[in-house]
Amino acid sequence: MNDDRHIEASSGGPANRPDADERRDYDEWERMIAAFRQSAPRSTGAPPWLEQKVMAEIEALPESGPFARLLQWLVRPAPVRIPPLAGLAVAAGLALLIALPRGGEPGPGGVVDGGVVDGAVVDGSDVRPAGGGSDGMEAVVYVQFVLEAPGANSVAVAGDFSEWEPEYTLEDVDGDGVWTGRVPVRPGVHTYMFLIDGTEWQTDPRAERYSDDGFGNRNAVLAVTAGT
Amino acid sequence: MDARVERTDAQVVRDVLDGDRDAYRLLVRRYGDTLHGHALRMTGSADEAADLVQRALVKGYRKLGSCREPERVGAWLFRILANMCKDHVRSRRRSDIPLAKVQEVLPDDSDPEADAVGAEIRSRIWGALDALTPEQKEAFVLKHVEGRSYEEMAAVMDLSVASLKMRVQRARKALRGLLEEFA
Repeated sequence: MNDDRHIEASSGGPANRPDADERRDYDEWERMIAAFRQSAPRSTGAPPWLEQKVMAEIEALPESGPFARLLQWLVRPAPVRIPPLAGLAVAAGLALLIALPRGGEPGPGGVVDGGVVDGAVVDGSDVRPAGGGSDGMEAVVYVQFVLEAPGANSVAVAGDFSEWEPEYTLEDVDGDGVWTGRVPVRPGVHTYMFLIDGTEWQTDPRAERYSDDGFGNRNAVLAVTAGT
Repeated sequence: MDARVERTDAQVVRDVLDGDRDAYRLLVRRYGDTLHGHALRMTGSADEAADLVQRALVKGYRKLGSCREPERVGAWLFRILANMCKDHVRSRRRSDIPLAKVQEVLPDDSDPEADAVGAEIRSRIWGALDALTPEQKEAFVLKHVEGRSYEEMAAVMDLSVASLKMRVQRARKALRGLLEEFA
């Protein structure tokens, strides 16, 4: 039964009898719907090999028991929400720590690593090493990549900042098909693409600029500034 | 009889999450046909439909821990598949959908009524359907081809009845224009 035809009815309630035009219009629509139903591809059920293939693929996946899930939960990055005031307090504390004279030589790697972690917590976007870059170390900016790929099993981003290796994987934590990930990128102009399911390269549809990759496709272009 | 067949969906989900991978087989058996039918009507190709269903079921297994209502895991799996179908349709160019793909899945012993519709009309009808947005096509197929009520659609698609009615209405309006000659 076409229970929504009242949407298109021009004159209202069930008490009103449809006029001839409406009746003809409705009959034509009913014929078209019938034609759709008659011509629809008919499934005789899922193919018999489906169950076997699905189960074989599942068997090949890593363990998914409670222990494995606990392990995944422990190693999976999770966003940390903190109120702005607490963020400022943390930033002030860090600034104080950095400003204080220390005994011993600071390890350069340690400074960068510490900056990355602290920067991500404080404002989640821009990270600079101690000394504002005056010591010759380049700033690193965390860039948030987002791709809507509801059917994907995995999404990675690759670009000149990763020597085109898809080493940065995006996450679809809540299963809504929107994949996100934060990637450290040095200031400059970069090109990148997404790699879906390890095989399908896709240009970022939301990029502001593009450039030809020389193979008939377009790379997305990303301009990163050091921030202030 | 296999005692596992009697397990409810929620029990099966719990068992799978507790490490009994083989229990997932029950969900494949319970929902494989329904999923395949929808994928077939969305893609018009038996091969593409089977591939999408396989991928959706594997994805469902991988994400099973995020299924908030295990007793409604069937609807949850359907949503995964429906999203994959829309994405697939969106990524596919219209010219990639030859009528032959639709016809190849019609049964050999199709009834006389269906035959009377004729290949040309079938072509026009399903060509018009593929011209809709994936969301409109999905809503139209669920409502008018699969014959679901709006309440069923809302439960499966996690959308309100009002927004689904709007989608169907827009799909119908677009189809009317596309099929003016036929109508």
